[in-house]
Order: sequence, then C-alpha cells, then structure tokens
Amino acid sequence: MEKKPAAVVEREARVETRDVVEMLRAPAAAPLVPLPLEVLVPEARQQTPAVRQRATRPDCRLHGLGQTKYIDDMYLPGMLYAKIKRAGIASARILSVDTKEAEAMPGVVAVITGRDVPVNSFGPSLKDQPVLADERVFHAGDGVAAVAAVTEQIAAEAIEKIKVEYEPIRPVLDPFESLKLETPGLHAPNPNIYGHKVIKKGDVAKGFAESYRIFEGSYRTQMVEHVPLEPHASIATWDPNGRLTIYSTLGRITLGRADISRTLGVPMSRIRIIATIVGGNFGGKNEITTEPVVALLAKKSGRPVKCTFTRPEEFASSTTRHPLVMDYKTGVSREGRILARQIRLVLDGGAYCSWSETTLGKACILSAGPYQIDNLYAEAFVVYTNKTMTGAMRGFGAPQVCFAYESQMDDIATALNIDPLEIRMLNALKEGSLSPTSQKLHSVVVRETLLQAAQRFGWNGNGARS
Amino acid sequence: MRAFDVFTAKDSRHAVALLAEHAATSKVKVLAGGTDLLADLKFASASHAPDVVVDISRIEDLRSIAVTGDGLSIGALVTHTEIMRSPLIRDMFPAMVNAAHTIGAVQTRNLGTLGGNLVTAVPSVDSGPTLVALDALVTVLGPAGRRQMPLAEFFVGPRKTALKPDELLLEILIPTTSLGKPTCFLKFGLRKGQALALVNVAASFWVDRARNAFVAPRIALGAVAPKVVHASTAEAYLEGRAIAPEAMVEAGRLAVGDAKPISDFRASAEYRRDLVAVLTRRALEGAYELAKAKQSEK
Amino acid sequence: MTKVTLNVNGETRTASVPPEMTLLRLLREEFGLTGAKLGCDVGDCGACTVIVDGKTVNSCLMLAPQADGRDVLTVEGLATMERLHPIQKAFEEKGSLQCGFCGPGVIMSAKALLDENPDPSVLEIRDALAGNLCRCTGYSKMIEAIQDVARGDNRQPVGESA
Repeated sequence: MEKKPAAVVEREARVETRDVVEMLRAPAAAPLVPLPLEVLVPEARQQTPAVRQRATRPDCRLHGLGQTKYIDDMYLPGMLYAKIKRAGIASARILSVDTKEAEAMPGVVAVITGRDVPVNSFGPSLKDQPVLADERVFHAGDGVAAVAAVTEQIAAEAIEKIKVEYEPIRPVLDPFESLKLETPGLHAPNPNIYGHKVIKKGDVAKGFAESYRIFEGSYRTQMVEHVPLEPHASIATWDPNGRLTIYSTLGRITLGRADISRTLGVPMSRIRIIATIVGGNFGGKNEITTEPVVALLAKKSGRPVKCTFTRPEEFASSTTRHPLVMDYKTGVSREGRILARQIRLVLDGGAYCSWSETTLGKACILSAGPYQIDNLYAEAFVVYTNKTMTGAMRGFGAPQVCFAYESQMDDIATALNIDPLEIRMLNALKEGSLSPTSQKLHSVVVRETLLQAAQRFGWNGNGARS
Repeated sequence: MRAFDVFTAKDSRHAVALLAEHAATSKVKVLAGGTDLLADLKFASASHAPDVVVDISRIEDLRSIAVTGDGLSIGALVTHTEIMRSPLIRDMFPAMVNAAHTIGAVQTRNLGTLGGNLVTAVPSVDSGPTLVALDALVTVLGPAGRRQMPLAEFFVGPRKTALKPDELLLEILIPTTSLGKPTCFLKFGLRKGQALALVNVAASFWVDRARNAFVAPRIALGAVAPKVVHASTAEAYLEGRAIAPEAMVEAGRLAVGDAKPISDFRASAEYRRDLVAVLTRRALEGAYELAKAKQSEK
Repeated sequence: MTKVTLNVNGETRTASVPPEMTLLRLLREEFGLTGAKLGCDVGDCGACTVIVDGKTVNSCLMLAPQADGRDVLTVEGLATMERLHPIQKAFEEKGSLQCGFCGPGVIMSAKALLDENPDPSVLEIRDALAGNLCRCTGYSKMIEAIQDVARGDNRQPVGESA
C-alpha cells in the first residue's frame, strides 16, 4: 500500500490549513471553568426516609453546571471518529462491498466491513444480530461497513464512497404476513415466529357459554422510539497488552461485555467497560450497538476511536418499542362481571430478537389487566419483519396491553350502560386474588387507588367531571 | 455538514453581486436565520449540498419595520421574535404576532427570519396565510434591479418561489389598503410547540358599518395545497354579504372546496378538510371580534 | 479556514475554523466548552441552547463565522468560583435534572427568560421552554425551580447561605 501513515496525512492537513498566527497560539487548554465546591457526600448506611421527602440527586449539580462528561464530551489523545454506513434497503443479499475509494481518502485511517468481525452475531437472548451485516441485510438501519477518520466530516464523506452491491429481496413488513407458514423464513433456519407464549386458566369456552354478552375488539399500537436526548455513543482504546477499554452509554455493562467478548473473540477478562453517565436510556441502551465497531476500528488503526449516533441513526438503527396487534374477546355477566377473556397478541419484532422474549412474556402475563378473570386464554406471538428492531422500552409490553384492555373496558361499560369506574371496581383484583399465572397476590390496592384517583380529579360518573 | 465556502454580504447590493458571481458556476444557498437551511444541510446528500453559502445575516438594511407611503414595510431579515415584539405590528396586525408565535420555539424564533420563512415556501408556512390574506407584496432585488409581486404569486409550489438564483428577497409590504384591516390567524398542529401546521388559516375583512356587511373579505389557507391559496369561492360568497354566523359557517363549507389537501403521516385529507371548515369559520369570527373591538375603541 | 473572534463567557477567544463549522462545534471542539450538547443537530431538541447577544439560539443552527464579534454565554459562564447561579441552585434543590443532558440548554432558556421577565407566569415559562425537550419528562420540577428563582426563594448565593 502506498498510503501515507495517517499521522503524516493529518499533520500535513493541519499545517496546510493553519496560518502563522494560528501556529503561534498557545497550545489548546481547557478553559477555566468555575467549580463552586460544596462537597456532597452521602453518608454510608444512611437511611433516607422516602415518603414525603423531596428527591434530590447528587449528580444534579454537575448536570446544572454543564460539567457532567457524557461520551461525546470526552476526547482521548489521538482519537479518531467513526461513522457507520447504513444499508438503506430493508431486505437484500450483499453481493460485494468495495471500500477502496474510502480507504484512499486523506484522513481515513481504518475501514472495516462485516467480514472483519470475528464472530458476527450477538443478542441478549437469540444471537441473531450481526455487528455489521455481511451476507444479508435485514432492515434499512443495518450497518454494512464502518470508517475511522481524523474528523467526523471526513468519516461521513468516506462512508459515501463505499460501494455496496445488493440483490434486493422482497421485504416482509406486515407481521401478519410473517405469521403465515408459507412466508419464507426471514432468518432461516430460525422460524419467523421466534417467540410464543400461552397462559391458560379455567375454561374459556364454559365462561363464554355463561356470558350475557360477548365483546370483541382489535387494538393496535405503533412503533415508538426512545429518543434519548443523548445519542448512543462509545469510545474504544486498546493497550499494547491487548486489553480493551470501552467507554460506553450502555445501561447493562455486564451483559454488554459478554456480547463484546463474543463478537471480538476476546476473553471478558481483557475487556473493561466504563459506563459513563447516560443521557437518557428508557430501555433503549440495553444492548451493544457501536461498541464492537469502535473496538475493531481502534485495533486496526492503533488509536482510540469514538462513534456517536446521529439522530437519524438513533431512529433507524437502535431498538424501538414493539408495535402490537391485540385481539380481545371478553364475555361478561349482565352486571358487567368478566366471566371469560380470550386474547391474541401479535408482536412485530422487527429485524432482530433483542429483548422480545421478555416483552412477549410480560405483555402476555399482564394482558388480562388488573382484573379477576377465572377463565382466561392468552396467546402471544412475536415475529420477524424487515423493520427496525424492537426491544426493551419502559414497561416491556405492559403499556400496549393496557391500552387494549382499558379501551375494551370502556366499550363494555358504554354498551352495558355501567359507569366506567363501577365496572372496574366490580372486576378489580383483591387481596389474595390469583394472577393469570396463578400467583397469589398481596398488597393489592387497585380499588383504593381507583377511588382515590376518582376523588382527586372529581369523577362524576359517565365520563363527566364534577 | 459538508464543506462549503461562506461569503458574508455587507448589504443587499453586495449580496446580489455575490449571488450573481457564484450562481453561474456553483450551487449557492442564501443563509439568513439558518433555521431551515442549516437543518437541511446537516443531512443533505452530495447532490443537494451547496458549494457556496452567501451569508446575509449581517445585512443591516433589511431589518426595519416601518410605515411608509406604500404601506407597512417589513425587512426580510426581521426575525419572528422581532415581529412579536414590534408595537407597530402588535397594534395593527395581532394576527401576525400570533402567527409568528406559532413558529418553532424561542430559540428558532430568535434566529429565524420572516424572509427566510417565506422563501423556504413549505405549504404549511406559518407566516404565509396572514400576509396573503392582507394582499401583501414582496420586493426582490436582482442584477437587473428591483421587482415587486403579490406574495400569493411569489409562492409557486412546495419549496418553490418565483425567486431566481441571483435574486434576493428584500422586503414584505402590506399595502395601505390593508393597514389595520381586522385579521385573524389560526393554526392547528399536533402539539402546541414546534409543530407543523396540519392546516393554518387567516381571514381578513373590512366591515361596512352602515350595512354590517363584509367588505374585501380574504381567506388564505395553508398546508392544504401545494402553496398558500386564497379560498376564492368563499371570498366571493362573502363579498357584500351581511355579517352573520350562518354566513361564516357557509364560508367555511365553501373554503373546503377551495382546498386540495393531501393525506400524509400527520393527517388524512378528510381530516384536513374538516379542519378547513372549522378554522375558516373561527378565523372569520375572530376577525369580526377584532373589528368590533376596534370600533368600540373609537 | 476562517478566523473568528468572539467573547465567550466574558473572555475574548479566537479560533481558525472551517467556514461550515457550527457555533456548537466551535464551543465544544475548539474551546472545550462541552456544556452545550449535540442532541439532534437540527434545532428541535434545544440541548445546544446558548445565549448570543442576550438571546437564546440553537448553536447547532448558527455557523461559527456568524458568531464572530458577538457575545456568547454558555452554561459554563453562569457559576463563579464562589457560588452557583440561582437557577442552578434551584434546579439542584428541586431535583429538576434527571439524566441531565437537556439541563444546560434548559438553564440557558430559563436564564434568558428571567433576564427579560423576572416574574413569569407558568404559561410564559412553558412557552420559554417549548424549544427544550426533556425525554425524562421532568418539566414540572423545572417549572417549579424557575418559579422559585422568580419568587426570590433562591436569590441568596450558595456559599453565603451555607
């Protein structure tokens, strides 16, 4: 290779662009930043009374001073900036990746593709996600190559010079199409339905037979992005003994370390992860994203490498909340008591499993609502589609099913001309009630909570406020 | 952002000279407040990105708000915040203040300019309907000199104006015939702050006091056609008609026919049509309230 | 490269930058002032809010050369060695900041508001914060803190009150 060493290219670029005055300027130093130090030291084993106390946070002062160092505020000497090339196509076979032109760009120090990843698969449960797609693209936000360069701008221009040849494959975007047996396996040999759960209690057929009326409804929720204000980011740096340090926005560093170890083929004992203060997680920073990429680029370049997601990448390439299609069939007595409920949930899992299994389980268990239902059949499926992957997000499926069962509760109340509060009081779980999975429940205060809430905002029956 | 050269214009003539110099050989963009331009350029493709940016944000001769012999003149670089705080505008056209208030948030209103908002010419442009309803004119400067045209004709289509690559928008003029004309602007967005309008409407008319009738009624609709449009059928219906709630309802109904909304991820065309009917009626009511208040002042 | 000279937090600073560099990158990368954050880079989130010549702006939507010769105030310019700014103090006491990423921007918006309007209503505070997104959705505590400062509950400096 005739390429000049990166350091030389960079130095030349600097010398060329700086004028004499600039050269005479004193070396860059961090400005004087006032730190009014009134030391906050929480006392060990101090028992803080929680109730009726204002919650303050010891890190709040640094936040307010603008002195908290998030990843993007950090710089290591000689650090390079990485950008990841995104597929931009929902489903395709990768025929070739040509990185020559990008590698030849001045200021570009290292380029990697999926073929450079030692073990190109990871995931919190199923190991179905590649670090960078090598043979197959499963959603438009998949990374296919990455560049480390002396500036972010050069890295961004370099990824545009990478040419990827695709053979498009018809994408499956509708979860119901994915659910059909005849739809070809998206992740062969994995089946399209990659998670399934059933909860049975009592006898729903008998319950429906005894019902005064049966209500059926279908409810849908949309995909939701966490949108943490701080985008995903990480910095990797190796020492000459082959030890890797990663600064990362990861929320679950021990789990992340296992995945990093797997993908890099480096023992966990050689990997140190420094979890910095996270600028918003909400479940979206529970798995690795850029970490193996920066680690590989840092190894190839011999310099620390940072990668920060752009806001568009945050939407396209990080996890989201599962969209659900929820079919509810509920049989009730003349008084409005729920006698039987049959539920089918279809979770659109997107391109990869991520935390789908946890979400599937929680959505299924909670799908009956906080109500005493003796005859219950709840079934949930999670399927692959060629969309942004879904994963953990606040509540793991609980908010989606809440929307369904409470919407149907209102429909039933309206149809039977019962006050919406009354019908909930009638059916709510009590002390000692059994959950859908037959767990005996304690400290159950659904009714008390409902009554207090109704009183607080002046509930006057029939949807009106007093 | 991709690399580009920045040339800072000292005054409007200099800006036009810079545009003329570079427009022939390079892709040139004009930078005023930057709230639209820089946001666009952050993720622009290579084919879309400019080589040259002419920065007009330091030009001092495009910042005045003044009543001249021709009407109320507002310089193209007047920011939305300056519009909101101008006693002159607040007194004459509270609708303009309301419209400016619905644009972006404090930070973007401090930077964003009236001229920039109009030149960007998105169909939902929030400063558009009020000015179109007031029959505003725009003055542009090019190598051949100045020319003036109605704002309604300055808008050509989505993100398209009659401005040539070497021309600069100088001022917005509300003609003397519209000065103090009771006008109401209403916007419906999915949030209160930083929202794009699903529909925005401005209504404006004089009141014939003897007959209590509509005179020179104007209704301008935004976000329901490729550009801000007059609800001509509704305007024709109201002209000379006695002011009554039923007439306003009917004008709203007719305005729906003047709109050509599309369905997108923000709202369906059907929903937008309903909004046109309701917002047009409310805007007419609002303008009438203003007219009555002005009468009682005198 | 373009030479820019501006007053940042009361100090004259100079840098030679590419003309397309934003004010935000100038502050963060050339001057080491990382209080203003890059959240969306398109002027929606307000994490990059700084005060230029007395007015809040999205520093991601302003080119560094546009700030040449102007006065820029960032969150780092609020506190002194002796004391926190009353807004910072109130935000700390009310627990107004959670993940903290939006904090510097929110505090600058609050500062610009209180400078102009020492006694804002809740609606006026909300309007002033409309351009600052907080994904932890801790808005109520921020509004309470700003009201506290306006009422003077927090006017006394930290150093002296302790």
